[in-house]
Order: sequence, then C-alpha cells, then structure tokens
Amino acid sequence: MSFHKNHWLLFSVIFFGYIALSWIVAIGPAIWVQDHAHALPGAKPLTPIERRGLQVYVAEGCIACHTQQVRPLKMDAVWGRPSAPGDYAYVKPLDIWHPYAPAVLGSERTGPDLTSIGARQPSEIWQYLHLYNPRSVSPDSIMPAFPWLFKVVAKPPADALVVPLPPTYAPPSGTVVATDKAKDLVAYLLSLKQVPLQVACGSGAK
Amino acid sequence: MTESSPILSVDRPLVVGKAHAESVVEHDTAWTRLIYVYLACATLWLVVGTLIGLYLSIKFLAPDVDHVPWLSFGRLRPVHTNTVFWGWTSLAMIALVLYVVPKTNQRRLYSFPLAWASLALINLAVIIGGLCLMAGINNGGQEYREYIWPVMAIFAAGVILIAYNLIRTIADRGVEEIYISNWYIMGGFLWTSVLITISYLPFYQQNGISETIIQGYYMHNAVGMWFTPIMLGLTYYFLPKLLNKPIYSYSLGVLAFWTQMVFYTMIGAHHFVFAPTPWWLQTVAIIFSVGMVVTLAAGTGNFLLTMKGSGRTIARSYSLPFILAGVISYFLWSAQGTLEALRSLNLVWHFTNYTVAHSHLTMYGFVVFLLWGGIYGLIPRMTGREPSHLLAGVHFWFALLGYFIYTFALMVGGTLQGMSWILEAPFIQSVRLMEPFWLLRAVGGTMMFLAHLIFAYNLWRMRPLRAKREMPATQMEALA
Ligand code: HEM
Ligand code: HEM
Repeated sequence: MSFHKNHWLLFSVIFFGYIALSWIVAIGPAIWVQDHAHALPGAKPLTPIERRGLQVYVAEGCIACHTQQVRPLKMDAVWGRPSAPGDYAYVKPLDIWHPYAPAVLGSERTGPDLTSIGARQPSEIWQYLHLYNPRSVSPDSIMPAFPWLFKVVAKPPADALVVPLPPTYAPPSGTVVATDKAKDLVAYLLSLKQVPLQVACGSGAK
Repeated sequence: MTESSPILSVDRPLVVGKAHAESVVEHDTAWTRLIYVYLACATLWLVVGTLIGLYLSIKFLAPDVDHVPWLSFGRLRPVHTNTVFWGWTSLAMIALVLYVVPKTNQRRLYSFPLAWASLALINLAVIIGGLCLMAGINNGGQEYREYIWPVMAIFAAGVILIAYNLIRTIADRGVEEIYISNWYIMGGFLWTSVLITISYLPFYQQNGISETIIQGYYMHNAVGMWFTPIMLGLTYYFLPKLLNKPIYSYSLGVLAFWTQMVFYTMIGAHHFVFAPTPWWLQTVAIIFSVGMVVTLAAGTGNFLLTMKGSGRTIARSYSLPFILAGVISYFLWSAQGTLEALRSLNLVWHFTNYTVAHSHLTMYGFVVFLLWGGIYGLIPRMTGREPSHLLAGVHFWFALLGYFIYTFALMVGGTLQGMSWILEAPFIQSVRLMEPFWLLRAVGGTMMFLAHLIFAYNLWRMRPLRAKREMPATQMEALA
C-alpha cells in the first residue's frame, strides 16, 4: 500500500472509510430509532396552535438555554421521570425550512428543564407575565424578556388577552395584550407534560 | 544597566527583542493577494463575531440591556458561534491551507478564480446566515447547525470547491510523496463535505431522538473532523518550517491521522450522555473518547519533541509562542473532553457552563492560537512587512490571560452549578451563584476582544504593498 504516493488510494480510503463509519455511528442508529420509537400510549400529537408555538420556540432560540430531557439521575427527578425515546415520537419536522425534527432536547441548562413545564406552571397568566418580563415573576431570572410577542393598546378589545403586569413592569401608559404568537407559544408550553410510562408487562416489543 | 544585553534591548527593556522575519520568500503577488484577502475577511468576522460574544456575555449580567428582537439572546447566540466558526476560523484556516498545499506539493494552486469564488460563497453564507438567525429564521437545529439548509448549501459549495481545487493541485504535484500536512488537510475537507451532506439530509431525522443522534454526530465532527485535522495539518507544516528543522517523527503523524479518523468519528454520542439515545451508542462514544488519548499523545508528543531544544528560537519569535500555546492547549483541553465524556464526571458537568469553558479552551486555546501562529509566521514572508513586535506580544498576552480568566471562571462556576443540582438546591440557586463567574467571563472576554482589535491592526500593518509588478508566470515557475 502506498498511501504516501498514490493520492487516489489515500483520498478514497479517507472518503469512503468515513462514510462507512458514519453509517455505523450515525445514520444506522438514527434509522433504527426512527423505526422503533413509538409514541407512548396517552401521548397526543401537537395541535395546530401548539405546533405554531413550537415554531416560535424554535425561532426565538429558547433551545439555547432550556433542555427538554430528564436523565435517569437522582438530581433530575425534580423535572419528572426519566425521558424515553417514545416521548419524542411526536417531535416532527415543521416545514420545508425545517425538514428535520427540531432539536428540543437541548444541551445546556442555563434555565430550568421544560419537559413538564405545563404541569409545573399550569397558569396561563403566569406564562404571559413571565414571557413579557421574566423578572416580573422570578426576580433573579436572567432570561430575556420577549415584549415583541405582546402589544400595548390604549383600550383592549373585549376579546383581548390582557396581561396583568405589576406597576413596575407595566409600560407607562396603555394595556399589554398578548399577540397570536404569544398565545401559540403559551399553548405549546402548556402542552409540555409527561405522560405516564406504563410498564407493559410481557410485551417487550412495541 | 549600562551594557545592552542581546535579549533585553535598552529602548524596550520590558519585552524580549524578537527576531525579524527572514526576507520575502514568495514573489507571486496574485497568490499573496488571495491569501491576504481571505485573512482580511476572516479577521473582520473575528471582530464582529467576538463583539457579539462579548455582548452576549453582558446579557448574562444585565438581561434587560436591550429589548430588540434581533439582538435577543436566543437569536444572537448562534450568530456568535456560527460567525466565529464559519466566518473567522474556517476562512483563516483556508487561507493558510491555500499556502501550505501548493507549497508542499510544489505546484501553483490549480485555480485562482475558483478560490476567489469559494471566498465569495463562504462570506455570502455567513452574511445571509447571520441575518436569517437574527430575523428568527433558523433550522430548529442545535449548535452549529442553525443555518437553514439553503444557507448551509452555499457554505458547503464553497468548501467543496476548495476541496476540488486542492485535489487537482495535489494530483499534479511536483514531488513524489504526499507530505503529511496534505493528509490531514484533505481529510478535513473530504470529511466535512460528507458531514454537512449527511447532517442536512432529512430522511433519517424525522423524530426527536433520531435527530438527536445526527446532532451529536454533527456537533462533534464539526469540531473534530474540520477544525482539528486541518489545524494539525497546518502545524505539521508551520512548526518545522519556523523552527527550521524536520518534524520529530513522520510515522507518529501517520498513526495519529488514522486514529483521528477512526476514533473521532465514533464519539459524537458523548454529547448526549444519559439522554434517551441508545445506551450502547453512548458507551461506544465514551470508549472511543478514551481512545482519543492515543491520538492526542501521538500528535502532541510529536510537536513537543520537535520543539525540544529550541526554546531560544521560540522565545525570540513572535509566531512560535502562539504555536506552543496552541499545541499545549490541544493536549490539555482535548483530554479534558475525555474526562467530560466519562459518566461519573459527565453527571456533574453536563448542561453546565463547564461545557462552555471546554468549547472556548479548545476552539480558542487550540485552534485560534495555532491560526495566529501560522498567520504571524507566514504573512511577513509573503508581503515583506512585519507586524509591530510589541503589539504582537500584547496580542499574545491579552488573548492568553483573557481566555484563562474566561475559562477558569466558568470551570469553577460550572462545577458549582453541577454541585448545586446534585445537592438538589432550588434551580435559581445555580443562576445566582454564577453571577461573579459571569462577571469574570465578561472581563476576560473584554481582554480577548481587545487582543482581536490589536491583531486586526497588526494584520493591516502586514498588508501587501500595491506598487509591485506582477512577475511573469514563466519566471514564477522557475522559482517554484
Ligand atoms: C471575545 C471573545 C468571546 C466571548 C466574550 C465569547 C462569549 C460567548 C458567550 C457569552 C457564549 C454563550 C454561552 C452560553 O450560552 O452559556 C459563547 C458561546 C460559544 N462561543 Fe464564544 N466568545 C468569544 C470568542 C469565541 C471564539 C473566538 C470562538 C471560536 C473560535 C467561540 C466559540 C464559542 C462556542 C463554540 C460557543 C458555544 C458553547 C457551547 O455550546 O458549549 N467563542 N461565547
Ligand atoms: C479527545 C478529544 C475530545 C473529547 C473526548 C471531547 C469531549 C467532549 C464532550 C464529552 C463534550 C460534551 C460535554 C457536555 O455536553 O457535557 C464536548 C463538547 C464540546 N467540545 Fe470537545 N472533546 C474533545 C476535543 C475537542 C476539540 C479538539 C474541540 C475543538 C476544536 C472541541 C470542541 C467542543 C465544543 C465546541 C463542545 C461544545 C458542544 C456544545 O455546544 O454542546 N472538543 N467535548
């Protein structure tokens, strides 16, 4: 073998060898998981409004600071039961610009895990206050505020969703109401709840 | 002091006098211009990208500093990482590659127009990509895969064109043997072309966990099969060249190359230890992460043994100290990565700021320092103009101290964060306790940013002068 002298030999081994390794360690396992991870009984696919909420979650980059995965460790028990592959079966591609499932698992916990945020903070109003300015409900939080998901109006229409801000955080005049984007996002957040893992005795597969 | 020492000069008693670069060795002005413009673009992205990094680090201390959607943390963070990855580091690396490959193959670069086209494509990808991210258009991916696929396709086109350009240059080489630098460099280009393709094809990423498997593979291979091999390849050229002696052992370099390809490809799943990805895949990744120690030892040992006995040359050079720092960083902080992959330690450090420290220790301490070493080593020899020696020293120390402050603060802070979670303290405790460490990060980051401004000025000082006549190609050939 003359890797030193034959560039075609060298480059082919580098190129095809890497593709082979990638099959073993990435594509193969991904296909296997895709075919074998079934949604848990009791889990529901996202509704259209929750899906739009996930889109806002992705666009605003919430993934940069929040995880959605509970590890089988004692310290993670506060966030729920350990996550299972089936928990993510309904995390699906969004559209042509997002032809793969969004990476909701995350890799850094600058903020708390959101696997079960819908159960932990079920109050819609809390969610709106928190998105308008996190400091209004959690003084030491360093999460960014998202005021552009809201509108300040002089007189809210009857069907508007008014955010009851404490005076320190309220704008000098007018009333803060949620836009559709905020409503979508809150619907998505409230949908984040773990379904129980039923240990199906005797049926290992499926 | 009455007598002037050969090292401590009287007019600059605080700094060691540095040797001047040997006279100009390259006379191909088209080549000089190409490489210099690549570096100028790269440096612009360095300044932009780290200004954003600095601003992000301030947001940890003052989250309400602005309420502009385009500058929101979640949108801006990927602008920082992608700009320094694809704008600064990649372009600077390619600039040096465009020197080293023709040089070691004793051929002129196959196509200059193609090389300019690649530069345009990569710049375009970084501009459009950054604007999209700030507008909230990302692909829902995680680290370094946030550009939507049409943008990444532009970047990939740039990379593939360079790969083609280099292959043609190497195929037509004027020497019989392919020097080891070219193995690493071509490895980097071929692997990355495959990597981007595999990671952006959607067929096997249709649910949360299958996407996660590809993300882990991508995340680690982006740093491990793009930046790492190419930087090592460049060092196999610049280190012996600047020291003016051969590399310690050629076969160690070959061993490290093959283990790099086989081991590094396998370790992506260690980004998701304890996640609901297949347990065996995580175990494989951890085992190969430990195996990487072989690659590290072979590579670093080779470089350090080459430097052995040349302490004086290194002290008297303004480029070699960067290379020394980069080589040591390569070993230390990759070995740190091995520790982070072990389950017992991963449970303390995973999800914490410790990972951010590791990212900067490796990408900055290893990759960026080696880049600076190569740039200071090469450009004066191409343009005949040197940087200010004093400012090159200030650049070195500001960058080094700045990144020490940044990363050591986050390593301590990240460990405390992990401990606080293990002790099951309320979550907000882990946010409160980070405040002093985030402050130190901003201080270190400011020093790093100043160092980058100084570097930009030095690069400008080294610019090629316009008033040079082009040399006829035939004469060029005679010189090559
Ligand atoms: C002035 C210099 C710099 C400053 C102040 C800075 C600051 C930051 C900040 C604040 C973050 C976000 C961390 C978080 O979300 O917790 C970050 C992330 C990151 N930066 Fe930098 N940065 C600088 C230079 C660089 C350079 C030159 C590179 C690479 C060549 C780099 C690579 C990264 C990477 C890879 C991440 C993602 C970290 C992770 O996910 O673990 N940074 N940086
Ligand atoms: C032996 C070599 C290495 C090993 C075993 C290793 C291991 C690791 C591990 C286990 C993590 C994940 C930490 C966590 O999330 O808890 C990680 C993250 C990271 N590593 Fe390394 N590392 C190595 C070398 C390098 C090199 C050479 C670079 C840069 C050129 C690098 C850049 C990064 C970056 C940027 C991240 C952060 C990824 C993210 O955003 O989450 N590593 N590494």
